[in-house]
Order: sequence, then C-alpha cells, then structure tokens
Amino acid sequence: MNQSKKQNSTRRDFIKTSAAAASAIAVPYVITSNALGQNGVPPASERIVMGGIGIGNQGSGDQNNFLNRKDVQYVAVSDVRTPIREKGKKKVDDKYGNTDCQAYNDFRELLARTDIDAVHIATPDHWHAIMVIEACRSGKDVYCQKPETRTLREGPLMVEAARRYSRVVSGGSQRVLGDYTELVNKCWGGELGPIKSINVNVGPLSMYCDLPPEKQPAEIDWDLWLGPAPWAPYNSKRCDGNYGTKGGSWRSYSDYSGGGMTDWGAHHFGGATFAIDVRELQPNEVVLHDEKGHKYVELKYPNGLSLTHNKPNTGNLAVTGTPGETREAKPVPAYKGTGGIYGDFIECVKTRERPFRDIESAVNTVIVSHLATIAYQTQRSLKWDAEKQEFTGDDEANRLRDYARREPWQL
Amino acid sequence: MLDQAIEALGSYDWGKDYATIKPIEEAVVSTQGDTEARKELEEKLASVLQSDASRAAKDYVCRQLRVIGTAASVPATAKLLFDKEFAHMARYALENNPSPEAGAALRDALPKVEGLLQVGILSSLGDRKDHQSIAAIAALLDSSDANVARASATALGDIQTVEASQALTNCKSTDAAVVSAVIDASLRCAESFLASGNKAAALPIYKKYSTAEQKHVQLAAKRGMLSALGK
Repeated sequence: MNQSKKQNSTRRDFIKTSAAAASAIAVPYVITSNALGQNGVPPASERIVMGGIGIGNQGSGDQNNFLNRKDVQYVAVSDVRTPIREKGKKKVDDKYGNTDCQAYNDFRELLARTDIDAVHIATPDHWHAIMVIEACRSGKDVYCQKPETRTLREGPLMVEAARRYSRVVSGGSQRVLGDYTELVNKCWGGELGPIKSINVNVGPLSMYCDLPPEKQPAEIDWDLWLGPAPWAPYNSKRCDGNYGTKGGSWRSYSDYSGGGMTDWGAHHFGGATFAIDVRELQPNEVVLHDEKGHKYVELKYPNGLSLTHNKPNTGNLAVTGTPGETREAKPVPAYKGTGGIYGDFIECVKTRERPFRDIESAVNTVIVSHLATIAYQTQRSLKWDAEKQEFTGDDEANRLRDYARREPWQL
Repeated sequence: MLDQAIEALGSYDWGKDYATIKPIEEAVVSTQGDTEARKELEEKLASVLQSDASRAAKDYVCRQLRVIGTAASVPATAKLLFDKEFAHMARYALENNPSPEAGAALRDALPKVEGLLQVGILSSLGDRKDHQSIAAIAALLDSSDANVARASATALGDIQTVEASQALTNCKSTDAAVVSAVIDASLRCAESFLASGNKAAALPIYKKYSTAEQKHVQLAAKRGMLSALGK
C-alpha cells in the first residue's frame, strides 16, 4: 500500500523485451527417464516426464490426454483425496504395466522432484496461482486448467513467474479454439468488416458459502483442500467437483471459484476475445448499464472495441461488425503439434515456443470475468488501469483485487 | 432491517439462516459514498468482533470489513491477530485496509506471535509493501521455523526495495524451500530495479545467480544480466 504499483508495466516490458535475449542463451533441455524407445514410442530423451496435480473430474480427463501420448512419460500424481489419488496412480500403473507411479497427498513433494519436466494442474481455482508459481520456481512447465486465476492480482504474478524462469505455461480451455471456429474465421477473414463489439452470455457469479458442517471423512485432507481459502467446516457440497455453479459444488462458492462467470466465462470470453482479436489486451473501462432494471456490463478496450456481458436480447458470441466495409484478412492462429490443446502444450515444451493459450492471454481472458464481477459487486462503472493493475480512483474496488491467503500460503 | 441483521449475527453459524444476515452485505454496497452510514455500519460490525459471536459470524464480519474497514475498526480486528482461530480472517479484513493504523497493527503483532500466525502476518506485510517493517521481516529470515523464514523471504520479494534486497543476501538458511524463496525474491527485486532503471542494484543479484545449480535459475539470471548490460 505504501508504494505505487506503477512498476508493474515496466517489469512486464522488461520480461517481454528480454525474452529475445533469453533465446541467445543455450540451456540444455534435460529429460530423465531410463526407458528405451521402441514400438513407435520415442526414446527417453524425447519423452516429457509429467505429473498431475488435482486429478479428479477435469484433472482425470487431462491425465488421460497426457498419459495416452507416446511422447509423455507419466510418473506421479497428487491429490488430497485418497481414493482419487489411488485411482489416478492405478491408471498410470495399468498403462505402463508396473507400479512406478508415485502418489502424493501434498503437491509440494511432487514439485520437489527434479526428474519431472512438466505438470498439469486441475485443482479448484483458488489453488491455481500458488501451484503455477511454485511449479515455475521449481523449473517445471505447466498446463493449468481454466479459469487460471481466482483474483486480479494473481494473473500478473503467474505471467512474471513463467517469464522469469522461461517456463512454458499454458492455460486450459480447449473450447477457445475448438468451439468458435466458424465465428473466428468470419472475423479474422474480414467477412464481417471491422468489428465493433461482441456479446457474451454467461453466469452466474459465485456466492458466499453457508453450508452446515458435516462429519469429515478420513479420505480427504481437508486443511490442504482449503489451502489459502478461509477455514470452513467440511461439507461434501463445498468440495464437490461437479460442474454445477448453483450450490452443489465448489464452483458455486466465492472462496474457491468465480462461479459460471469465470468457469464457462473462460470458454466464452476466451472465444470472444479470440474472435475480435483482443487476447493481448485488457479492457480499460467497465461500464455498468441499467436497461429497464436489467443490469449488464460493457467492457471497453483501448482500441475502441467493446465486449458486453449479458446484454439484453443479444445472443451469446453475437458480433457486431460493419457490413459493407472491408477488413484485411489475417491468418488464424492454430495449435502446434498434434492432439489439440494438449499436443500444443507438449509441442511447445519441446520447442520452447509459446502455446496457443499462453498464460498471458489466458490471464487477459479471465481478467474480463473478474472486472465484470467487481462491477456487479460494487454496482458501479469502473476505470481499469492495465499498466498499474488497479482501478482508477476507486479504493473499494481495489480492495477486491485480491484477498489475504490463509497461512502458510503465499503467492 | 440492518439492525436485525446485525443482531442475527449474534446467533449465526454455518448452516443457519443466512438470509437473516444478508442485508449486511447489501448495506455495504448501498452505503457507498455515505460516510455517516458507513461509520455506523463499521462500528456495529466491529462490536460483533468483540462479542461472543461464533467463528462463522466473525468470519462474515471480516469479509465485510475487507471492503469498508477504516482505522476505526482496526483495534477490534487487530485483537484477533493473536487468536489461532481468527487470525487469518483478521488479516483478511486488515490486509487491504489502506489506513496506516492497519499496517501499524500488523507490525505490532509480528514479534508477538510465532509459527503460522507469524507466517500470516509476514505475508500481509509483504502484500501491503510495508517498507516500515523491512528490518523486522529481515530479522526472521534465519528463523529456525522454515515456514517463517520462507514467508520472510517472500515478503521481502514483495516489498522490492534495495534494503529488502540487501537483507535477502544475508540469509544463511540451507533449507531447500527457504533457499528457493530467497532466490525468487531476489530475482523479483532485480526485475523491479531494472524496470526502474537501477541497473547497479540489479546486476549483482543476476551475477550471483548466473552460476546457480538449477538451470532455470541460471537462465533467469543470465537473461537479467543481458538486459542490465543493455544487450
């Protein structure tokens, strides 16, 4: 509080400009595995050694995608729920026909291993930033499920950690490139003329959790599940990993998630910002509109484009272009490698390129969700200074950029 | 309605009727810009912290004070910094409270607690970029409690002054987690110095870690050196 955060922008500039310098330094990329390549499986020196953190619902799917790749050697799992941890280990052991996969309750033990090159993370959202930053500090590349952040403050710190240690860090959401192809092709191909705006319909916001205490089962490390979030009594719905956002899952509650606004928001806002090509930007203004009692927000970008959320009588991903005017077509970015977003990440681990969902553009997407959420929470329009990462002239909104983490957890 | 909600906090607990207390958070929004109403609301909430209300009720109050807390509620909140059950939520209220009194309360509590409570206060002082606490934080870098030492290093990495950076160089811990935190904090300081044009302060840090055992640390340091040297 005593010091302005104006240095953030220049630090990011430093990180960006020195990336070129980084490429001038040859650092050997070491993959350690003793298995020999055969039957179409690459030799150990070409395989990426991986582990998974948070391997329940979504994490299990991610695990399958990495485990089934011939260029990945999967060696470890971490989850605070014993049955899920054991199931995840068994899946790996069955695949390789041995019992080598190590299972950890505490992710820090997995990250401390020096033989692991990359991790995938699919814990509840309130853990993402801590784990991604710690993984980068440990020299790991990271595939982190969306939404990548729980607060505004977390994103830049994750980007800085990734850039500091030259790590490949990919956000999740296979839908950004997979679900909106037709729209993206129209926008990038110039068919709609210069784009003016796009609308996203998604929700709800997450809420305060007042669930009553239940008997805590021995199969979950509850303190570690809560991690940096405020202490709360165990309740099975509080930590349920189903995809609902209306009360029966952790995705419903603000201590762990931004609700549908960030969960599906990562997909829809991701698709929208991709379609109108503002993935490298952040809005500089959030306008709270009131149309006959229906409140919705409009996020304005410095280049004049705008993104509305839940605008009345407007479809999801509805684009307003300029019919009759031309716009120069641009080639649409694509995944590298093979195997969708997972293959894109693995290919980038090998080549050290930036993945399609590079953490910086992923953070820019989820920031849209956070900015809109804070405008709804405060019930007012806000000015966002992306360079300083703060709301201009709004002390109370600035207080909502982050929260004090429960000890011993820090970013 | 608001008075009833405040009264309901006296018997509120997780799983009880949340609707009875919800008017409080509605008042937090509706009183924005109304100094008198805010003052009254803050006083009432602070009084709950001094009562026998449940952990859930005080948790709820701290969530509201995170948004509206001023110097007025600091004394009541700061008392909770010494209580294992409430310390985190006290920081939840105090950490983003911009009043100097909030920073002073955290600084005052730092040497009076230990273990996880000390880790938490270190974290909050770092997040506040509290320059006045650098010496006190630095004194804990060599704590025998690795959690405390690690938190101290991270806090200094948040503060990012030359003094904070200098303190990091004096850390003698060999604990792997502490060493990792010291390296990261030092590199963060160096990035900050470089960004502000203070290459003279950045360069020694980068030089120190340019021969680090870990390749990714070495890479970070060499990159920094090149930037500091304008290459």
